[in-house]
Amino acid sequence: MSPKRSDMRMPYPRRILGQLLLWISLCLSGQAIADAASLDQAIRRLGQGGFDGTEKAIGELLASGDPRVVPILEALAAGSLQVRKADGAIFIARQEGGEARLIDPLTGEVAGAASPGTMERVRMNNRLRRVIEAARGALTLRSPDPAIRRQAADALFRRADPDARVALEAALAAEKDPAIARRMREALAVLTLAGAAEEAARLEAVAVLARRGDRESLAILAPLAARGEGELSRAAEAARQAIEHELRLWEIGQNVWYGVSLGSVLLLAAIGLAITFGVMGVINMAHGEMVMIGAYTTFVVQEVIRAHMPGLSDYSLAAALPLAFAVSGLLGIAVERGIIRYLYGRPLETLLATWGLSLVLQQAIRSAFGPTNKEVANPSWMSGAFEVGHLAITWNRLWIVLFALSLFALLMTLLRRSAFGLQMRAVTQNRAMAGSMGIRTPMVDALTFGLGSGIAGIAGVALSQIDNVSPNLGQGYIIDSFMVVVFGGVGNLWGTLVGALTLGIVNKMVEPHAGAVLGKIMVLVFIILFIQKRPRGLFALKGRAFET
Amino acid sequence: MIARFFLAGFDRRVALALIAVLAIGTVVPLLNLMLPASHVLHVPDYMVALIGKYLTFALLALSVDLVWGYCGILSLGHGAFFALGGYAMGMHLMREIGPRGVYGHPVLPDFMVFLNWKELPWYWHGFDQFWFAALMVVLAPGLLAFALGWFAFRSRVTGVYLSIITQAMTFALMLAFFRNDMGFGGNNGLTDFKDLLGFNLQAATTRAGLLAASSLALALGLLLASAIVGSRLGKVLVALRDAEGRARFLGYPVERYKLFVFTISAAMAGVAGALYVPQVGIINPGEFSPANSIEAVIWVALGGRGTLVGPLIGAGLVNYLKTYLTAAMPDAWLFALGGLFILVTLALPRGVLGLFDRDARRPRTAAVDPIPKAAE
Amino acid sequence: MGFSISLASRRLRQRLGAGLFGAALAGSAALAPAAMAQDTIKVGILHSLSGTMAISETTLKDVMLMLIEEQNRKGGVLGKKLEAVVVDPASNWPLFAEKARELIQKDKVAAVFGCWTSVSRKSVLPVFEELNNILFYPVQYEGEESSRNVFYTGAAPNQQAIPAVDYLRENEGVQRWVLAGTDYVYPRTTNKILETYLKSKGVKDEDILINYTPFGHADWQSIVAQIKRFGAAGKKTAVVSTINGDANVPFYKELANQGINAKDIPVVAFSVGEEELAGIDTKPLVGHLAAWNYFMSIDSPENADFIKKWQAFTKNAKRVTNDPMEAHYIGFNMWVKAVEKAGTTNPDAVIDALIGVAVPNLSGSYSAMMPNHHITKPVLIGEVQANGQFDIVWQTAGLVVGDEWSDYLPDSKNLIADWRKPLACGNFNVATGKCGGKD
Repeated sequence: MSPKRSDMRMPYPRRILGQLLLWISLCLSGQAIADAASLDQAIRRLGQGGFDGTEKAIGELLASGDPRVVPILEALAAGSLQVRKADGAIFIARQEGGEARLIDPLTGEVAGAASPGTMERVRMNNRLRRVIEAARGALTLRSPDPAIRRQAADALFRRADPDARVALEAALAAEKDPAIARRMREALAVLTLAGAAEEAARLEAVAVLARRGDRESLAILAPLAARGEGELSRAAEAARQAIEHELRLWEIGQNVWYGVSLGSVLLLAAIGLAITFGVMGVINMAHGEMVMIGAYTTFVVQEVIRAHMPGLSDYSLAAALPLAFAVSGLLGIAVERGIIRYLYGRPLETLLATWGLSLVLQQAIRSAFGPTNKEVANPSWMSGAFEVGHLAITWNRLWIVLFALSLFALLMTLLRRSAFGLQMRAVTQNRAMAGSMGIRTPMVDALTFGLGSGIAGIAGVALSQIDNVSPNLGQGYIIDSFMVVVFGGVGNLWGTLVGALTLGIVNKMVEPHAGAVLGKIMVLVFIILFIQKRPRGLFALKGRAFET
Repeated sequence: MIARFFLAGFDRRVALALIAVLAIGTVVPLLNLMLPASHVLHVPDYMVALIGKYLTFALLALSVDLVWGYCGILSLGHGAFFALGGYAMGMHLMREIGPRGVYGHPVLPDFMVFLNWKELPWYWHGFDQFWFAALMVVLAPGLLAFALGWFAFRSRVTGVYLSIITQAMTFALMLAFFRNDMGFGGNNGLTDFKDLLGFNLQAATTRAGLLAASSLALALGLLLASAIVGSRLGKVLVALRDAEGRARFLGYPVERYKLFVFTISAAMAGVAGALYVPQVGIINPGEFSPANSIEAVIWVALGGRGTLVGPLIGAGLVNYLKTYLTAAMPDAWLFALGGLFILVTLALPRGVLGLFDRDARRPRTAAVDPIPKAAE
Repeated sequence: MGFSISLASRRLRQRLGAGLFGAALAGSAALAPAAMAQDTIKVGILHSLSGTMAISETTLKDVMLMLIEEQNRKGGVLGKKLEAVVVDPASNWPLFAEKARELIQKDKVAAVFGCWTSVSRKSVLPVFEELNNILFYPVQYEGEESSRNVFYTGAAPNQQAIPAVDYLRENEGVQRWVLAGTDYVYPRTTNKILETYLKSKGVKDEDILINYTPFGHADWQSIVAQIKRFGAAGKKTAVVSTINGDANVPFYKELANQGINAKDIPVVAFSVGEEELAGIDTKPLVGHLAAWNYFMSIDSPENADFIKKWQAFTKNAKRVTNDPMEAHYIGFNMWVKAVEKAGTTNPDAVIDALIGVAVPNLSGSYSAMMPNHHITKPVLIGEVQANGQFDIVWQTAGLVVGDEWSDYLPDSKNLIADWRKPLACGNFNVATGKCGGKD
């Protein structure tokens, strides 16, 4: 293939598209009017002349106005259109077993099978995808599925095509859903402003866009406003200012949301540490590795489910949660029994031992799974985004915020309301006294460390959804986690919650102004200064903490 | 007077260590330069660079021990002082290159030329003079430590809170030095040095000289540390390490003592960094990474905290093992090193040096628990 | 076996005209084999196996082991077996220099294959120059360097960045640019070059947004939102990403979730290859682009053979290959050929013999070592597919010569490197006629 240079003209198919739409909207029945031979030639040309050739051939197909081209374009977009290397004939290929079954694109009949290596896929690029999407968008304005109709209207809003006007007006007249009708009106407004409509209609269009009030409307109104004179320009300017003002407010809300979301990630990472370090006093440098092991557990669970029960893929996270808790928790108990319990009373040395442990765990995972990233898929209910007003909220972030908060609530309940929680608090406050009251302190210690580690493992399940699953995963969170726990006040879970959210929000409010790097530096400086002011963290423990 | 001050804290162990350090500083260069490469006792060039590096790490460990072992300040940011000293030296070495850079610019270092800097930032001025750079090696980390300590000790930030703000400090500095806009070469740092005081850095003699200088610096550091520890001041330090509140009630200005030792220790780390840079040939923001500071603390813990000599052993041992294992078992050396850390903690609670303590008294490192014990 | 050169600047063509092969091929036949009788020839492998870079570099260590094993099965080099000496510099830059010194002085290796990050290369460079050994550096980098002892088998900016931008301008009609990178020297330099280049093509200041993030940046919400905003201004927008390794997975995940689609705002990346994609679900990313000199999807017999051997060597039928692996493949074969040509592993002889050596690359053409110690490569643009592979949508007509000193940076446009005698200079200033860095 050689480099293709194409000028920046309006793609040929776009111009043709309008005529096709007009034609389809007149609802002529699917009678083949095109000359079958020329259609066949056009299909053949899909596979010739590189991307430019394909684009031209798509245009010819659309121009033919033959409804039979729709499945061909669908196949092209899906990447299943193939050229037979021997004679250049085009087929829709369907993989069945080891070989590809070839289907004649016009008749839809099976035309034989192809052995590997004799066929070549008709190549696609973004430009062709856009052309097909635009065609498909306009063709689906009357689709029975409201979601597809909405997509179609949105596609036309973004890529205003004057030729689509008639089809759009027809679709609008038939539209029952008010939300979709609004989007269609907005698309029409863009067309009105782009064309040479009379003043009143254009003013009306400006008003429609002003009501829409998003960045895209702004991009359309700005050049009108910049013209500087005339009623239309003044109206556009007023609309522009109103939109900008409103968007600025929304932006603050958006940053707060980002902050909450970052804060909940910090909370997840830190909450296990708040127990092992905050409550037990172990300077647990291997905390990050417990998180990492949780993430790897998720990976293994997904692989197993993908291999044996592919239908349940969307629920693999639910299965991973208890398993990650168990794996990390049991490991935590083993670590406590094997190492930590010999170090009570020498908390600083836990730093040395757990640092060694973290090196060992990292290398163990690297040896077992390899050093490269592992793919952990997002389940479908955690993909994508939705909008509240002009606030874009991604599903995975929303789930993580909810998850972090409910994990926190669960933990608080456990500590406050259960017998284990009571014993745990008793042991950490006064070990000797608790022991004399008949509490089996060694067991409580082991379970507490196990709980902290298990929660770190659960955090790993959530973090696998937004970050790399690699042996270095834990290293990325350990420092932030310590900052959060200490900032919030060691030994105070509420402090961890408030600390995480505060740091998250401060970071995200500063970031747009100072950039990501400076933003992070400023947060660290903020922590240093804050601790001067409150040397025991945000939620200092009250009482006789003088000499500790 | 002065002699008495310096000899006050002298014990047999420190004396032995001093002799050993100075012996390394004289014998290794001689064996490297005088003997032919085929001789059994010849020390190859790469060993000279390695031993020189270990000596600077030992000085860093000593400075950590001074604040942690004797003053109870667990600094997780001493790597920052080390790196600042290193940058001061690196800036001098960059200026020394002068017009011999690849672009042939008379003043600007190469990295500034290709990022389109037009003139030298103000903070690079003066570094063409060795005396100025040498001064900054001590002043930059010293002043930073003084400023941080001034605020932190007066606000009575102690224990793990202090540890975390020192960690936040080194982390923030790392991010700052990573920024190319700072004018310190960003991630690549400063490298490709040519010479120091007119001596070619690639020459074996220069390298032997640097090793000798490192050993001298370490010996002086050891002398100074033992003097501080052995003086009345040192006794107060131990008192406030073990019971800060009581020391304060007895009328000792706790903040001042801490501030003094913290600043001295930071300057010492700075000197170590300055000697480190010409020997390894590069300084970059990675040196600020919190993991490096934690590692320095681990050398101290491994060797024996609060012993002055232990940290030297710890630094030497861990770094030698790292050198050896990364070549001998590149795929599994972390198992060995990590396992060693765990084992030492469990089996040798007073560090490697504790092995040699025959008396079974309570460890000198009487650990102070910096963490408030309480439930949520 | 001719190779053609496109996109070569005027002075490159002049340089090539100066009888590339004649000078190089003639050299060093007279040199006798090394006097020291060794049973094996040692080859150093200097790639991080632990720490942050292990994720990328471990693969390269494995590839080298495979290539050495294969060469030994063919009988080794000069009748001797090759022996790999593997060390772990642990993603620690000073340690790279230390290990390089150890490899050369203690293990007496004949050549070293290694490094990934620019800083690791900068760290070892003085060591290689001092001890006069050979380093093969396999990763795309920012240029602005040419050392007598280093052979750069990865892409220089003109072999990756500029063709990618040209593709977007011409084929996608992009008019507005986000240059997003990790804050270190490779993105900084590349973006500086691209900025100058784009402005020379008439792109206005307000249509370029430059954004830097720290290493390992994990929270991309704000930046992706900013890109989305920047792209909503009505002009066709693209993102040119020099975001480094680890930060890419969260970046692409955020792109997918915020619904940034390749049809609207395509992202072209220079550091994202098959290995990086292996950690992401690529279905939402179909159509985003990467520019490399090699893709696993290349349809050539050499490539098929290489993939087969690699998957057999790693005993994993799903292991992917990537561009730096190909660079090592080319570099290693060049070294073998040069050693055989020189008849010795003596570094001086091999360095001279390497210039002009041409070996097959994996895309079916021949890559040659140029006098500036960079190689000729094809430039490919690939689109991400749902299966984690790239579909090649564009490639240069011929091979492109790596341009070490960029024409788009004011201070380097007069510099050239030519290591053939008598010039033998890495930064010769054609304006002043002087070789820089010498008194």
